Amino acid sequence: MRIATDPMHQFQIGKWFDLNIGGYDLSFTNSAFWMVVGVLLVIGFLALATSKMSTVPNRVQSLAEIWYGFIAGIVKDVNHAPGKPFIPLVFTLFAFIFIANIIGMFPYFFTTTSHIAVTGFMAIFTIGLVIVVGLMKKGLGFFKIFVPSGVPFVLLLIVTPIEIISFLSRPISLGMRLFANMLGGHVALKVFAGFIPSLAVALGGIGMLMGGLLVMPLIVGVTALEFLVAFLQAYVFAMLTCVYLNDALGEAH
Amino acid sequence: MATETAEHASGSGFPPFDQIMDTGVSQVFWLIVTFAVLYFAVANVFLPKIRKAVEDRDGAIKRDVAEAAVLSGKADESVKQFEAQIAAARANARDTASKAKAEADAKTAAATAAKEAELNARLAAAEARISDTRAKAMANVSAVAEDAAAAIAEKLTGAKPSPAAVKAAVAGAMGG
Repeated sequence: MRIATDPMHQFQIGKWFDLNIGGYDLSFTNSAFWMVVGVLLVIGFLALATSKMSTVPNRVQSLAEIWYGFIAGIVKDVNHAPGKPFIPLVFTLFAFIFIANIIGMFPYFFTTTSHIAVTGFMAIFTIGLVIVVGLMKKGLGFFKIFVPSGVPFVLLLIVTPIEIISFLSRPISLGMRLFANMLGGHVALKVFAGFIPSLAVALGGIGMLMGGLLVMPLIVGVTALEFLVAFLQAYVFAMLTCVYLNDALGEAH
Repeated sequence: MATETAEHASGSGFPPFDQIMDTGVSQVFWLIVTFAVLYFAVANVFLPKIRKAVEDRDGAIKRDVAEAAVLSGKADESVKQFEAQIAAARANARDTASKAKAEADAKTAAATAAKEAELNARLAAAEARISDTRAKAMANVSAVAEDAAAAIAEKLTGAKPSPAAVKAAVAGAMGG
């Protein structure tokens, strides 16, 4: 009963195998398991899609090509030509987040992207990459992104700190958005679903009827919405990665 | 879950924050491992394959379109050639027709002229015969008139007039 109605239990991480390297606890957990499953699913799909490449594609190949075209389209639109080397990274980010979010839609499966440790690290990695690429491409000129051109000196005293704060807040917002969306959606689903047994316990048969007629359609709707969110959050993460990368790749603005 | 430790008797709290200290490193570690595997598979195996297929297709389409353009140009050219041939043949036919017409016209004119000449000759001959016949007939008329006049005069007078007198009288009457 506790598992059935506790909305937070689904986010519980449990250790499956202990693994300790260099004093760090790297145990294989349910989270790690579903990451492995997600990656294997994506690799399996891509292997199937690219097993028989032909000029006239079959359905799976078509799907993979549409997927590739979708990601390459985002990168091309946002970063133009200099973004080309980052297409695999954006593709992987999108694939990893998307499959994790979709796996999370299945009951009893674990949503790896519902933990801030995972999404936060991905966000920090993305921003770190932006800084590294920016410094490599532009040297110290990269820091000009904090000093917009054509702004009077007096205003720069205000604008530059704002720019720096907005830059530093990016990994927080990037990681928090994904984690909070996944967590919130799943909690909402669980809470709504919990209404049915609660109503049944409180009101008996009438409660069960009310739950079935009123709450169940709501749950179906929210579930559909969650599938949309699963795709949308992966898309947003990939898109924002491209936008942030533009600071490192594009012209100063 | 194998190791659901003596977790919070009253619900599970907020695992993303509660568990970040014990499991954060493990999560990040496995994230890096799985993400790296996926990245290398995608970057080194799958995306090049997909990109190659897409580029091959674009190349094939471009090639086919170019080939089609060449073929279409060729077709246009042969249409032009064909039209020129038709025009030449038409001119040729017109030439032949007008030549044949001129020949036929000349032949007809010659035949007509020959026929006309022949008819004219026959006409002249016929006219000559007619006038001949008429002269002969006129001679006969006077002989008959003389006979008749002699017979009438004999009946009236009972005496046979001399042929010379009859002839003179007839000639006088006919000549007016």
